[in-house]
Amino acid sequence: MLSPRLYILNVAKDPTEASRISRESAKQIQDKELKLLDLVQSLGDYLTDDDKTTRAKAIGYLSSVLGYLDPKTLSRQQVAVIAQFLCDRLEDETGLKETSQGLFALQKSSRFGKEEAILVSSAICKVDLQKHPQGTRFAVLSLIDGLMANQRDALRAIGGKFVTGFAELVGGEKDPRNLMIVFSVVNVILVEFDIVPHIEILFDVVYCYFPITFKPPPDDPYGITAQDLKLRLRECIASTKYFAGHVFPQLIEKLDSTSLSVKKDVLQTIAACALSYGPQTISTHSTQLWDAVKFEVLNSTEEDELATEALSVIRAIAETLSFGLKFSTPTVSPLARYLSGIVKECLKLLQEPQQKQAKSAGKILSKSATASTVAHTFIVEKTMPALLLIHGDADGLAKQRALMEILNLLFQSTLQIFGTWGDLTAEQVLPNPFTEYTDKLFEMYSQALMGSLREELSLRITALKGLVLLCRTRRLFQENEIGMVVQYLDQVLLEVKEKEEIKELALQGLKDISKIKPNLIMDITFPAFMAQLPDSEKEADPSKPYTATLEALAKLSLGRSVFQVLLTRLLNKLDTVLRGKSGPMYPQAILSTLLYVLQKKPESSQEDIKTYFTRLVVPLLTKTIIPVVDNSSEFQDFRILTDDSILDVTGRLFNIIIRSLGFEEQINVSRQLINIFVLGIPSDYIPITHAGIVARDFKPLQQAANKDQARCTILFTYALAGLRREVALTTLSLPGLIQQNVELATQTAHPAQRMAHVYLVALLANKWMTKPGDSDLLQKITVNLLESVSSSILGSPEYDNLVGQKLQIVLWITKAIVVRGDKYGMEVAEEVVKLLGDKNYGQTASKGFAVLLGNDEFIAKNNYAILRPLTKQKIFTFCVPKIVEGFRVADTTTKPNYLVALSNILRNTPPAVILPELGRLLPLLLQSLDLPDPNVKSATIETLLITVTESADAMKEHISSLSARLLNTCTNREENPPRIRSAALRCLRTFPGAIRTELLLPYRGQVIRSLATVLDDPKRSVRKEAVDCRAKWYSLDEPEY
Amino acid sequence: MDGKNANPTILNASDLPTRRQAQRKKVTSPLTSGLVPAYARDPFVGNKDTDFSNSDESEDDSVREPIDEQEIYDLIATISDPEHPLTLGELAVVNLQHIKVTDDRSAIISNVLVELTPTINHCSLATVIGLGVRVRLEQALPPRFRLDVRIREGTHATGEQVNKQLNDKERVASALENETLMGVVGKMLETCK
Repeated sequence: MLSPRLYILNVAKDPTEASRISRESAKQIQDKELKLLDLVQSLGDYLTDDDKTTRAKAIGYLSSVLGYLDPKTLSRQQVAVIAQFLCDRLEDETGLKETSQGLFALQKSSRFGKEEAILVSSAICKVDLQKHPQGTRFAVLSLIDGLMANQRDALRAIGGKFVTGFAELVGGEKDPRNLMIVFSVVNVILVEFDIVPHIEILFDVVYCYFPITFKPPPDDPYGITAQDLKLRLRECIASTKYFAGHVFPQLIEKLDSTSLSVKKDVLQTIAACALSYGPQTISTHSTQLWDAVKFEVLNSTEEDELATEALSVIRAIAETLSFGLKFSTPTVSPLARYLSGIVKECLKLLQEPQQKQAKSAGKILSKSATASTVAHTFIVEKTMPALLLIHGDADGLAKQRALMEILNLLFQSTLQIFGTWGDLTAEQVLPNPFTEYTDKLFEMYSQALMGSLREELSLRITALKGLVLLCRTRRLFQENEIGMVVQYLDQVLLEVKEKEEIKELALQGLKDISKIKPNLIMDITFPAFMAQLPDSEKEADPSKPYTATLEALAKLSLGRSVFQVLLTRLLNKLDTVLRGKSGPMYPQAILSTLLYVLQKKPESSQEDIKTYFTRLVVPLLTKTIIPVVDNSSEFQDFRILTDDSILDVTGRLFNIIIRSLGFEEQINVSRQLINIFVLGIPSDYIPITHAGIVARDFKPLQQAANKDQARCTILFTYALAGLRREVALTTLSLPGLIQQNVELATQTAHPAQRMAHVYLVALLANKWMTKPGDSDLLQKITVNLLESVSSSILGSPEYDNLVGQKLQIVLWITKAIVVRGDKYGMEVAEEVVKLLGDKNYGQTASKGFAVLLGNDEFIAKNNYAILRPLTKQKIFTFCVPKIVEGFRVADTTTKPNYLVALSNILRNTPPAVILPELGRLLPLLLQSLDLPDPNVKSATIETLLITVTESADAMKEHISSLSARLLNTCTNREENPPRIRSAALRCLRTFPGAIRTELLLPYRGQVIRSLATVLDDPKRSVRKEAVDCRAKWYSLDEPEY
Repeated sequence: MDGKNANPTILNASDLPTRRQAQRKKVTSPLTSGLVPAYARDPFVGNKDTDFSNSDESEDDSVREPIDEQEIYDLIATISDPEHPLTLGELAVVNLQHIKVTDDRSAIISNVLVELTPTINHCSLATVIGLGVRVRLEQALPPRFRLDVRIREGTHATGEQVNKQLNDKERVASALENETLMGVVGKMLETCK
């Protein structure tokens, strides 16, 4: 038989071949072509070989074959023979690893029984394991782990001998992978075996590893973390109550450790033990544990991790002691004994509620009160009388407030235990112990919130928070009490003199209450707020600004049903206001309120938004248009709706609603609007009384249109922006319409109207001029416009406004097509770069880059615009080198144009695109810091700020020139407004930390000296920046850890 | 507990007087923010109005805002106490009414007087706290100010002695040479806002 020999020859140099050989042998055995016993016998010579490795390899062959056998292949007898054979081999320790692997494979066999398990486990426990390398130990431990999984009853039957044997076997194990196995085996022993006689031994096996301080090596192939080991070890320690007497004194002693992570581990382990040892065991240790961990809370500070862990321990003990107590806590019970001690100590500290430890005491009480319903009841009953007494005796508001903070902590526990209104969880059987105190608390908190001076802000905030907590707690307050709280919150919110801080909380409170009792908000808050809104601007009381009321209403109306109510009421209010011949401000504010809510609606409620088309779009359209064609209609007072500012908001409402409509609906809407705005055909949207007149007289896009009519184009543009590009505008002649609007845009001096025409052109070009041939048409228009620019440059030394306007339109058309990847767009961009060198039109061209790269709200994804990705990158790579070159050769009068263009590009390009180019751009950026234009400077400083934080390396060579310029910017008050001075200081402040200290140290003295004069800046905000900046540079030489 | 107060009375941070809050609260109504009309955002129109929309008094350099008590308080109230992770403001070591400033630009020298109230009258760290306040003010005020940092009369057992140390130039200078001491002071100043 050749196989053993071949295997032994190959196993070291070609393991794949070796395993192929053994797999083949296994197959032969399974196919009964080979007898297992023959195979074992064929090993005979090798097993007595003088070379240790040959002996091990021979066993390895057998093990490998066993591993490939189907578990059902071997007979009962074969298993017994092989088991005996392998156990005998254990005496030859050279092959321990291979023998264990063989046994591991064997024990998986379905005929491996109890006797074999006893045989194997007894034999293996005699091995002197720790002298073997970790891989061998792993094989042995895996065998035991396998036996524990498959033959647990047999191991348990061996009993004490196995337990002690195993303990001895693994003693001293240090390898993390092996320890993971040891811990899980020990855990089974601790939980399922009779361990009482062996507590000490097992405790020593486990506890000697505590605390785990293992740090995984950087290239650890097994990926075992310290946390994995900690958790498994903690499970062992917490798994049996018999450890309690040993474990707690030891853990408590380790609390004195100076290492944070050890202390954290200790506290988490105590908590795990407290939760699992059971009430009887814990009752004997509860006092000892409380005495040990309380200091971690009492001496802690805000947000202290250890304090949080210690609180969990305190709570865990209470939770375990609550076991079995459903209705009350008998005074003799361990829970009562434990909690009484805590209550007594905490109440002592709470006598002076302002002191540092009082807050910790409050936290202890409130955390313990979340352990169980009975614990909660016990703590509330035992502390409330005393706490109320302290509040009553408090000699100052600050003291009262501090105590109320403590009460609020307890309210939070109550909320946690009893839940909030409408919770789906089952209700508690026990009554809420606070019920007894609701009247008193309601009075006390109401008094603090509404009866104290307005300036007592923190007291009132505490009271407000407490009241909201009490309102939210299930079945605590009566409906009328919650109603009262709603009224308080309304009052706070409506009062102008209230600080923003408390108003925000009041609003949040109302939002919280609207979730549990929406009827109260509709019945109390809405009428109260609506009553605050005047019927006209003239009646507006400056002490009750309607904007604040509208804002609060908007924020409370995000829910669907509430918004329906708001919509009806505000539209009625709008009519009333308009009929009173209002100015534009108040109507605009009302419409903005509706817009705010629609904008805040999540994407998911698109369906919801489109239902407002008939309620908002159609009536607003009617009310805006009819007055401009008929000044004797019932809407004659509504003409103010054609004010620019109102049209803009109305337009946005149209836009947001129309774009949420479905495709079919949009087709219909587009036809109707085109009929009204372009074709002069009667529309269903206009009431029958005026449909004819509107068709005849409403011509906003005609040259001769009066101003009010012309401005209505704004609405058409916003509506068009919201249409899908697939909605074909079949009734329109697009080239004609574009040409018409190009002309209108150049002719009007009215900014809002001009933008409406310009955007109309851009929208049509982007979304609807996409057929072959369309591009040529746009090119023709653009070329025409550009020609008038170049002929003006040649023909006249003066700036011609009309030509400037034309150039602007060129840029908007370019924007529209360049974002959808039209190549012609880039050609125009190149022309625009050339124009930067022109003394008349260079400035317009430089601003044009803000158009080309800026994020536009019309040509945007949510408006179905065609946007190709990476447009900005393309323009950046295409234009920036040309700009850098142009700048180099430009004369001084036009140099600024290049810098402005660059700053417009940088401002609108993602940093990731800019950073690789920075080296080349920095010289330009530095020069633009010398320009007087504050906007360029501001853009440059913004860019530099990003550069310093994200790509400090690029800055290295420029620290000197940049810091000098920034210092010059913040010290030169003549040229730089405070905002720029502050920005320069902010930029300079980012150097320390972003750039390596040794590169900065040479400039430290200079910066600190120069900043001394900025400390005397006339503006406080600049001084503040200077102080912060200087502090950063001062701290430079301090050693960094 | 010699010279340490483990359980001092703490003021609520939001109750402390500060100008910062007022500055931060310059919010525009959410109804109108984000509602700049489309035409006002035309990049071609001179953007003085858009970029500097809320240009107010704070942009006008002719109105000088003098350095006053509140400004000094804001500078030092956020310094941390060396033994508690609380600020000098929260511990009422620094109080607005115990700061006096004369900011007179016509005179060569202006004055700042800060009186500190230790949490207990034998506080062993009073000198260090005083030094921290001094260092902070030296770094944050223009050189024309003369600083006087002292312990408020009757609030410390050895107040006189501490005051001598705090206002003795040479002693302060030698304290600043001491690395351990400066380490402590650096830690205290880390929380300055």
